[in-house]
Amino acid sequence: MPDKHLSSQFDSDLNSLCSKLLEMGGMVESQISNAMHAFTEMDLESCNQVIEREKTVNDFEIDVDLACTEIIARRQPTARDLRLVMAVSKAITNLERAGDEAESVAKRTKRIIEAANNPGINVAEIELSGQMAISLLRRSLDAFARLDAIAAADVIKEDKLIDEEFRSFVRKLIIYMMEDPRIITPALDMLTIAKAIERIGDHAKNIAEFVIYIVKGADIRHLPHAEILRQASE
Amino acid sequence: MRTVFNTNETQEAQVLTDTLLDDLVESNPKIAKNALEIKDLNFYYGSYQGLKDINLNIQERKVTAFIGPSGCGKSTLLRSINRMYDLYPGQRAEGEINFYGENILNPKQDLNLLRSRIGMVFQKPTPFPMSIYENIAFGVRLYERLSKGEMDERVEWALNKAALWGESKDKLNQSGLSLSGGQQQRLCIARGVAVKPSVLLLDEPTSALDPISTGKIEELINELKLDYTIAIVTHNMQQAARVSDFTAYMYLGELVEFGKTDEIFVKPKRKETEDYITGRFG
Amino acid sequence: MNQMKPINASIFNSRKRNNKIGLFLSMTAMTVGMLFLFWILSVLFLKGFAAINWEIFTASTPAPGSEGGGLANAIVGSIMLIGCCTLISTPIGVLAGLYLSEYGNRSKVASITRFVTDIMLSAPSIVIGLFVYALVVAQVRHFSGWAGTIALALIAIPVVVRTTENMLQLVPGSLREAAYALGTPKWKVAFSITLRAAKSGVITGILLALARVSGETAPLLFTALNNQFFSTNMNAPMANLPVVIFQFAMSPYDNWVSLAWGGALLITIAVLGLNILARVVFREKVQG
Repeated sequence: MPDKHLSSQFDSDLNSLCSKLLEMGGMVESQISNAMHAFTEMDLESCNQVIEREKTVNDFEIDVDLACTEIIARRQPTARDLRLVMAVSKAITNLERAGDEAESVAKRTKRIIEAANNPGINVAEIELSGQMAISLLRRSLDAFARLDAIAAADVIKEDKLIDEEFRSFVRKLIIYMMEDPRIITPALDMLTIAKAIERIGDHAKNIAEFVIYIVKGADIRHLPHAEILRQASE
Repeated sequence: MRTVFNTNETQEAQVLTDTLLDDLVESNPKIAKNALEIKDLNFYYGSYQGLKDINLNIQERKVTAFIGPSGCGKSTLLRSINRMYDLYPGQRAEGEINFYGENILNPKQDLNLLRSRIGMVFQKPTPFPMSIYENIAFGVRLYERLSKGEMDERVEWALNKAALWGESKDKLNQSGLSLSGGQQQRLCIARGVAVKPSVLLLDEPTSALDPISTGKIEELINELKLDYTIAIVTHNMQQAARVSDFTAYMYLGELVEFGKTDEIFVKPKRKETEDYITGRFG
Repeated sequence: MNQMKPINASIFNSRKRNNKIGLFLSMTAMTVGMLFLFWILSVLFLKGFAAINWEIFTASTPAPGSEGGGLANAIVGSIMLIGCCTLISTPIGVLAGLYLSEYGNRSKVASITRFVTDIMLSAPSIVIGLFVYALVVAQVRHFSGWAGTIALALIAIPVVVRTTENMLQLVPGSLREAAYALGTPKWKVAFSITLRAAKSGVITGILLALARVSGETAPLLFTALNNQFFSTNMNAPMANLPVVIFQFAMSPYDNWVSLAWGGALLITIAVLGLNILARVVFREKVQG
């Protein structure tokens, strides 16, 4: 983390901010993990756990946002410190939404279980993209902890894979729905679940973009990938 | 922009080109002109070198701030620009400082004329021991012969520029020392502005003042820069961030980084600059 | 717990005791000094007051043996001598002080000037009187008011030079720099800014120099001497209070002795007045 300021209180404020972000990230990771488990095992218990813990994630967002505001008011951070605080403030939004998506997965799974109409579709794509999403999130948080721009650039690249998995699952689902209209209701729930996972991947990508912003000072959102890699390795 | 011409005819053409170029710059506000160009400036206090190879340009009608820890040479640099060091034997400067093309470090330069074109306001407010009116008229009288009416106008104009007219118009004949600290400093600014220099040098102008007076003077700087080139030395980084268009970071007599204020404070190029402005200094 | 207890009681108590002793000793010393001062002043006032009446200001000094008389000629003579002395010593002293502070500062000429000034400050006034006697009086072979003025000026000038220089040095350098930064030429900075800023201090110095020379007797003995009659001719011997006092105090005539006390009182009041004026001027200017 950042080397020492003259004011050790400032150091500890920034460190605590980063720790809170990582802690929230870990919590969201486990939420997603539990939601995926709930889906693959059709486990009602796990669904309820995820739905309950969502509130804690939201509280975290409020907490960290307040800490960011206080640091800005008290310290007037500049340069790297400023970019860090701005990035943290935005990254927790992404984390909170990722948490919402995990909750969405849990809720839809619960609906399928309670309606007892699991169509028995092969959901390998969802399981795979679920694992990838968890991995991406973990890696983006890792890149944040180490302020590693290259690792962040890799995360941004690999988000595309999740997008591909999502599209191939949608195609499969359409075929199934055309063959047997009775499964449309649970199929739509599964579509929502797949979409949620795809969005989690996007949020992980956003967090990685902020890591590059902190380290390089370059705002690389919406840039083509070759450009991103170039900026990251400069 | 000079190409070498050989014949008289083409010399004429060269003069014509230069004139056209000057007119172009004058009429087009987007082309930035430098009020001061500092080239290879070295400064010595006796045998101790206070400034090392300073190269930088100060754009006209912009505010350029100098920041850095104590002893970095920022005040020394400012005081070289109006040759205040000439008052003290043993201090000397080498190199060039071009003021609209003329090198003012030239020993033949008339210092009094120079200082009437490049004014300075100091850290400690120093009103002269005379009335408010006289304080302002003093400098003007050195160089211009004005009738009473014209002088009255000039005094009012200068006090207005310094945002002090309202507070002082009913007591122009009272001593300058009867004003508060912040007002005295604005009087010194009015005094400097009254002689219509093109450059104003401000050496930590608000260090000795309370936050409200400081705020008023920063607001003043914002308005003054429409007409004057301003160079300000400050040890308050937030002030530099608030008022300046360009910032120079100096350390131990050297110019470490110089650039637009927005860039310096969001994404500085040198690690030393970033360490200083984020307070990682130690 | 009682927060007001000292850390070490015995040290604290012995300090209190020493403080009391010191205070007592200094008050005693002051009282002794003041005692003598008041004794002198009271004798002066008592004896001198008896002699003060309108006649003192209207009649000239009486001839030996005659009755009554006053000090009119001596008063006018002293005023003229001191007046002319001021006119000479002020410009010379102030300009010299200005030079030492603003121009010469560290040059050889300046240090020599300062050295000479210091010597003259402590030179015995009778030596100065003798010097002027040899230089002026002996040449023209008669005593004169001008010779007296020169002698007094030689005493006053070093005082004015010293105080002017000191007062100018007290003006902060930042004020001068502010003037230079406007493009003010050096002479104008010295006169219009620095001298003006030190104005009250310089005036105080002049007043104190005057107070000093008001009472000088020895130099006048050799130069202006004295004049029994009323005269405003500076080319001839000039009556003045200090010499009159000198002459009358030791005489056998009662009215002379009484007049001597009156003269002494007048001088004392004048010196007191000048000192008070000096303080008032200084304080007023400092405040505003």
